This record gives sequence, structure tokens and C-alpha cells, in this order.
Amino acid sequence: MSSKKDSELPVPPKSGFSRRGFIRGVGIGSGALGTGLLETEAAAAAPATLGPGPVPITLNINGKPVNLTVEPSVTLIDAMRNYLDLTGAKRVCDRATCGACTVIMAGKTVYACTVLAIDAQGKNIETIEGLATGSALHPVSKAFYDNDAQQCGYCTPGFVMACKGFIDEHPSPTEEDVKHGLGGNLCRCGTYMGIRKAVLQAAKEMKGAVKNG
Amino acid sequence: MFDKVEAFYRPASVREALRLLHTGNGKARVVAGGTDVAVEADPSIRFLIDITQAGLDYIRRKGNVCTIGATTTMAALEASPVIRGLAGGILAQAAAACGSVQIRNMATLGGNLSNGSPAADAATVLLALEAEIVVAHQRGRKASSLAALYSPLRQGLLHEALIVEVAIPIPARGGRWSFHKLGRTEVDISLVNVAAGLQLDSRNRVKWVRIALGAVANSPIRAVNAETLAAGRTFDEILIEDICDEVAREVTPITDVRASAEYRRTMCRVLTKRALQECAARTGCSL
Repeated sequence: MSSKKDSELPVPPKSGFSRRGFIRGVGIGSGALGTGLLETEAAAAAPATLGPGPVPITLNINGKPVNLTVEPSVTLIDAMRNYLDLTGAKRVCDRATCGACTVIMAGKTVYACTVLAIDAQGKNIETIEGLATGSALHPVSKAFYDNDAQQCGYCTPGFVMACKGFIDEHPSPTEEDVKHGLGGNLCRCGTYMGIRKAVLQAAKEMKGAVKNG
Repeated sequence: MFDKVEAFYRPASVREALRLLHTGNGKARVVAGGTDVAVEADPSIRFLIDITQAGLDYIRRKGNVCTIGATTTMAALEASPVIRGLAGGILAQAAAACGSVQIRNMATLGGNLSNGSPAADAATVLLALEAEIVVAHQRGRKASSLAALYSPLRQGLLHEALIVEVAIPIPARGGRWSFHKLGRTEVDISLVNVAAGLQLDSRNRVKWVRIALGAVANSPIRAVNAETLAAGRTFDEILIEDICDEVAREVTPITDVRASAEYRRTMCRVLTKRALQECAARTGCSL
């Protein structure tokens, strides 16, 4: 789809279409809309209009607010990888199929490649980087290690986050639940059997942790 | 992915969204979960109008109608007790069959319909349930049947309008429902999907039957001839075979990367049969 290399920063869009023209149309040209829209919206949590041009935003990643300035077209995966050096989540298919970019946003697993960074504001985002506590692995990561649930490891960060999101919602999953709940991640090495075992082990351990804690 | 997008709007009401859409003059696209719009990556899109804050995220049951806001996610439909209790839960089942969990957490019912895919599982179910789709445009709102809406949806003719709500009449008591989907994998789109409803009288005769199929024509279709043929007849294996024959005649599948037309036609029979048998089993009718 995009030939852009991962290290390249997204280029501001070049187009013949005049952004200003549109904004004038929205902001001033049609008096009914006018600035009134912006004023009424100011009270809302997020501003009603973002862009054109780079927008300063605040993302809440792994419990910490981070400030960055991005074009409205930048996806969450690109913002994390190219602006914040959070390179755990991988950009692989970039079309909501493979799951390597999976993060947890507002408690739900999502594909970071199809969420705009500006749309992720105000939501708690959990990534693989925030999973471990110091040097202690999270039960899901540990279960992956114990069950040899990876080969090349490229899908692993996405899979681990998908598993965590899944277990948070299904504390006592059956094997069928696992198949249905993790269908959104692909592993080209075919380590699915290990992953299935890992999820069941992690679910057991996490339930134990809740009971003990 | 969104390389050409320059600005992002988040209107707080449908009226504002429509005004923005009008001003965008074909270069603006309404987006909710964004799972289709992102993948489509249409380079003509310059402006995104996010309607997820426009007050369209709700599931309500009022009297004999269940209304669902357009930006209700598939995950919300899958989990909703109201939707699970409606028509044997076939809409919840179809929502659960839509893509992967990451998709369902973002994708919305209105977006799924707006995309106009003939394979959309939710659309097949809504067609069987005779749901009405409420579309808002600047002059007001209009409810139409899904069938009436589908061809303009497919051709993108709704660029100045917005799906705001789906209204499902609560089906009569006594009907039993079933939904079946066949896809290559858990998360792939349907090769064929079938939603069926059936009510039998005390002597096992068909009071009414509804059969809708997806991915086998250029829009989801009702197998009207098969439904007519079945009315009043005793429900048995012979009738099921007759219905399946008729369904296979009514569908017009195509060959594509996923399956051949013949395979799809054969699977229409198989899935219709399974769906009707399941409806009958739920009625307590033993064949």
C-alpha cells in the first residue's frame, strides 16, 4: 500500500485542493457554521476541528501523558513508532488484518494502524512497552516464553497485547473462546498451538494473582 | 493509510455533521470506527468527519421497535442483552462474526451498512428482520427499507446524507431464528451467509418463513419465491429440499478470489437447510 519506509516521517500531504478554501468554506463562508461551531465545541473534551497542518496533541500512553505534534493524517502506529520511539507494536500490513500493531485503547484491543493519533486523545493507551513491571514479566509475556509461543517474534508484541485484552474481558476462557477472541492476529511462523496454551496458562495465573492480591 | 487527509472534524450533532459534509463537497468522508475508510485509503478524501461524538451510540427498546444508533460498535451489539434477546440473538451473532475482535471494537453498524458490501453479515440479518434504516440529510430524516437503500449505498450515492439509526420491529412471538455464515477463516468475510426465521402452527404447517442471504447477489437478498412456496405447507424434509432448490434458483452469485459461483450456489442450499433445521429445532419440531 504505502511504499514509505518505516523510518521516514510522514510527509505533509501535497495537493492541489486548497485546504484554506475548505476551511474558509466551513469557518467563514457558510455563516451558519461560522465560528459558532468552534465556540460551542470548545467545552467538549476534544476540540471539534483538528488541522489542517500539524496539530499539538496529548496521548496517554502507559499511564503517562506525552505531548507531540502530528498531521491529522498520522495513525496511532506511526505516531508511536516514528514520533515517540515506541517500536514494540509493529506496522506490518497497515490495513487492519494482521494484528501486529495491536494496542489496548480504553480497555479494548484495537489495530493502531487504523486509529488516527488525534482520535486516540483522551483514551488510555496500553502498549507492550508498559506491560512488564520492572524486570518482572507480565503473566502473558511469561506464558509466551514458557510455552514457546513465538518463533521469529515479529507478531509477538501484537499477540501479547491481544491476549492481555482478551484475558481482561474473559478471565476464564475456553479453548473455543480463545480461537474466537484471538482471530484478529496472524503468525506467519504458525505458532498458534503455543499461543493457545500460553493464553490459557496466563488466564489461570492472572486469576490467581487477582485472588491473592 | 490516511496520507491525503488534511483535517479532522468531530461534530457534536448530526446537523453539524451534515453541514460539514455538504461543505466538504465530495472531499469529506464521514467516519466512525474507520475500519473500512482506512483500508479503502481513497485518495480523494481530504477531510474526515468523525461522528462518534454525534450522539448516535445507543441501543433502545421502545414498545415494538428496537432502535440502534449508527455508531454503535459491533462489540456493543455482540454484548448487548437487548440484541442478544432479539430474534434468537441473530444480530448479536452476526455482529460477533464481523471481522476480528480489534475490528469489532471499532467498527460500527452504520459504517458496516454504509460500506454497502453485499457480504455484510449484519445486513443479511437486518433484511430478514425487515429493519428500517433511518437516513438523515439536510432536509430531514427518512426511513427506508434496507433493500431500497442498498443500491445507492453501493454506488456511494449517499454523499450528502448519513445513516443515523436502524429500527428493528420486534418480531412476533413464536417465531424462531437462525443465522449461519460460511467464511474461509474465523475473520474472513462471508462466502455465503443466511438468516432465517420460521413460525409453524400447531399442525406443523408454515405460518411464515423468512430467508435472507448475503454475498450471493449484488446486495443481500430475500429469497421471496422460496418464502412464498413454503407458506402453508407442512414443514418436513421434503419442504426443506423444495425451499433449498428454490433458493438455489433465486441467487445470482459470482466467482471471485474466495469461491466459485457454483460453490456459492451449493453452499446456499447447505446453509439454508441448516438454518431452517435450526429454526425448527428451536420451535421444538422434530423432523
